[in-house]
Amino acid sequence: MLSRAASSLFWMARYLERAESLARLLDVSLTMALIDVPEDREEQLSVPLLVTGTVDAFYQQHDTITPQHLIDFLLFDESHNSSVFSMFRNARDNALHVRGNLSADVWESINTAWIEIRELRREGVYENSASSVFDWTRERSHTFRGAAYGTMLRTDAFHFLRLGTFVERADATARVLNIRHRLAAEAMAHPTARSFFEWTALLHSLAAFEAYQNLYGHNLEPLNAAELLVLNADIPRSLHACLQEIAGLLDQIDGDHGRRSKRMASSLYANLRFGDREYIAETGLHEYLEDFLGRIQRIAEQIQTDYMGW
Amino acid sequence: MKIERPGKGIYDEVFDETHQVRPASRALERWLLESDDQLIADKRREADVLFQRLGITFNVYGDSDGADRLIPFDLIPRIISASDWHRLQAGLRQRVQALNRFLHDIYHDYDIVRAGIISAEQVFANDQYQPGMQNLKLPRNLYCHIAGIDLIRHSDGDFYVLEDNLRCPSGVSYMLENRRMMMRLFPHLFAKMPVLPVDQYPVLLGETLRAASLKPDPTVVVLTPGRFNSAYFEHAFLARQMGVELVEGADLFVVNNTVYMKTTAGPQQVDVIYRRVDDGFLDPLAGNPDSMLGVPGLYAAYRTGQVVLANAMGTGVADDKSIYPYVPDMIRFYLGEEPLLKNVPTWQCRKKDDLGYVLDNLDKLVVKEAQGAGGYGMLIGPKASREEIARFRTLLRDHPEDYIAQPTLSLSTCPTLVEEGVAPRHLDLRPFVLSGKKIQIVPGGLTRVALRKGSLVVNSSQGGGTKDTWVLESDSVED
Repeated sequence: MLSRAASSLFWMARYLERAESLARLLDVSLTMALIDVPEDREEQLSVPLLVTGTVDAFYQQHDTITPQHLIDFLLFDESHNSSVFSMFRNARDNALHVRGNLSADVWESINTAWIEIRELRREGVYENSASSVFDWTRERSHTFRGAAYGTMLRTDAFHFLRLGTFVERADATARVLNIRHRLAAEAMAHPTARSFFEWTALLHSLAAFEAYQNLYGHNLEPLNAAELLVLNADIPRSLHACLQEIAGLLDQIDGDHGRRSKRMASSLYANLRFGDREYIAETGLHEYLEDFLGRIQRIAEQIQTDYMGW
Repeated sequence: MKIERPGKGIYDEVFDETHQVRPASRALERWLLESDDQLIADKRREADVLFQRLGITFNVYGDSDGADRLIPFDLIPRIISASDWHRLQAGLRQRVQALNRFLHDIYHDYDIVRAGIISAEQVFANDQYQPGMQNLKLPRNLYCHIAGIDLIRHSDGDFYVLEDNLRCPSGVSYMLENRRMMMRLFPHLFAKMPVLPVDQYPVLLGETLRAASLKPDPTVVVLTPGRFNSAYFEHAFLARQMGVELVEGADLFVVNNTVYMKTTAGPQQVDVIYRRVDDGFLDPLAGNPDSMLGVPGLYAAYRTGQVVLANAMGTGVADDKSIYPYVPDMIRFYLGEEPLLKNVPTWQCRKKDDLGYVLDNLDKLVVKEAQGAGGYGMLIGPKASREEIARFRTLLRDHPEDYIAQPTLSLSTCPTLVEEGVAPRHLDLRPFVLSGKKIQIVPGGLTRVALRKGSLVVNSSQGGGTKDTWVLESDSVED
């Protein structure tokens, strides 16, 4: 397929996945800020800024961090690319470039999202109504993925689109886990009633709360969460599950161009597939995740060099 | 709903001169009478939402917040009876055949010029004439693979050709999407009327484009100027429907006179380019050097026959308004047949006698630029102010060769949904003619309608809308 089209499909899917991740993150942070004692509130609200790398940009526009400021900045601000609004806009821009490669349903799902988010932005969103917008974002992302999975031909257009989804998801899981795990571990060091919320915030941010309870019951052990979200292939947002998809998708792409990408992805996949929690514990989760983030970033770059770098 | 009756001296598509319903439109009229205003209003809103969601919109530059513009869609279809369509089809076939012969002739043997039918100056000094096309052999001698012929129906009930579009005629996606919309909104109407399908168009277009190359299984692409082009939606739509790549200039490159596209698996050779980019922008080395839309070296590759362009370079000379008056002569000259479709009588201001007549009758005539498009730069005599007429008088005296004039035609009307209810509005018709191994015409076309009362300008850039076009399978419609 056309390299430019592959690139647009890849980024279109990345932006939509990123919007969903950000919505989850914001949802949890705003809830936690309500629960927290005032002195910890700032730290909670800062999490989405840390994950998206927008702390400096935020303080250029706002003196203080409040729920409303955070909503304004990360939901609808179009002056930077890290807001949900900008992500939907960028996703649609990319979709427009590859309209010829999208099924009608996929295009419609993205175009409708764009029409709706402009409407939401016009109406304005306040602290107490924000969660409905987060729900909306998640649903839009689900609809897009469902339409893609249910209506697109299994050609390279589909493969590059799905690659975008899973590269972005792997990156998001590692970032969120990195920050939220630290907060949860700190809270668990001196258990209070609040510690439990901190703990659930980690799992909710990655849509893994129910899965954790199924597998580990009420046993709140930080390393369990790491094992679940890094090594467990059955959790859709785990690093293992993402790399399984990435390696598999690269394998299905036509032509001989992606040897480096395939090698790098397969190697990282093998690390996860045959990894164990002891190794993570020895390395330290933070170091482990930092290393992972570097590698997934290099894989994403290699994919672009191999297939889209004309 | 109540239906306002048509005006006098105008052909109406639904009612005859005694206000009786024409046989082909009986079911349609009954449906309109039975439908209540609320239902129609609801359906109309539904259509708007659907079009917006499908993104069947006009592009608006650099506007991230405003909604994209929709071309107004009218819910009341335009009906063409089976017998009318048969006549139209035969006439279109004949006309496009002659136009293709003409293009081949003016780039090879110049028979029509030698025979004194068209002056050498009018052909060779035409801006659209491409000397580089001389003696280039094209597969099947085809120049216009895709033609859009604009027709109107005059008060005498006959169809007249208003204009031939032989460069990159657009609008076919509206023909297809309007049909899809009607089937979604009013499926039961299709049970009552034998409407011929149009959905096969993309398949036929694909066939036509593959037949444009002599290779056994050629790679076809659609070349678009990009997403800021007002017809981008259509380019993407057709590429998807045909299952071929939609490329921009930067996706293609030329090595050793062979055209390749940049794919994820490396360079892939391209054999046929359905180009929706004008001649001058196709190759910066040959045309506009500043064009970012084109492909350097494409023209040279085309000249060697390594790649086929559809439509060919240099077709514009045949759809020029100054060449238009000669099309009936072309049909007689190349095919030895009498033209089946009428031409609108045209005065060529380049001719002294014609100019004299035009200047004397400016208040009765329509004056158009010989190379204009989109309904700009024209004078509609009977509706023009004194100042406008004076302005055109000067223009005509200074540059007579740039203008042609035609009588004001009474475009036919068709009941249309407007603010006040259902009222007659003027319309035209653009069927699409595909020339490949054979000539194929999908039964239907783009019907454009002037939504303002009395207006004769149907262009979407000037507030025109569209209707679905229903060609009926047979004339004997059951009651």
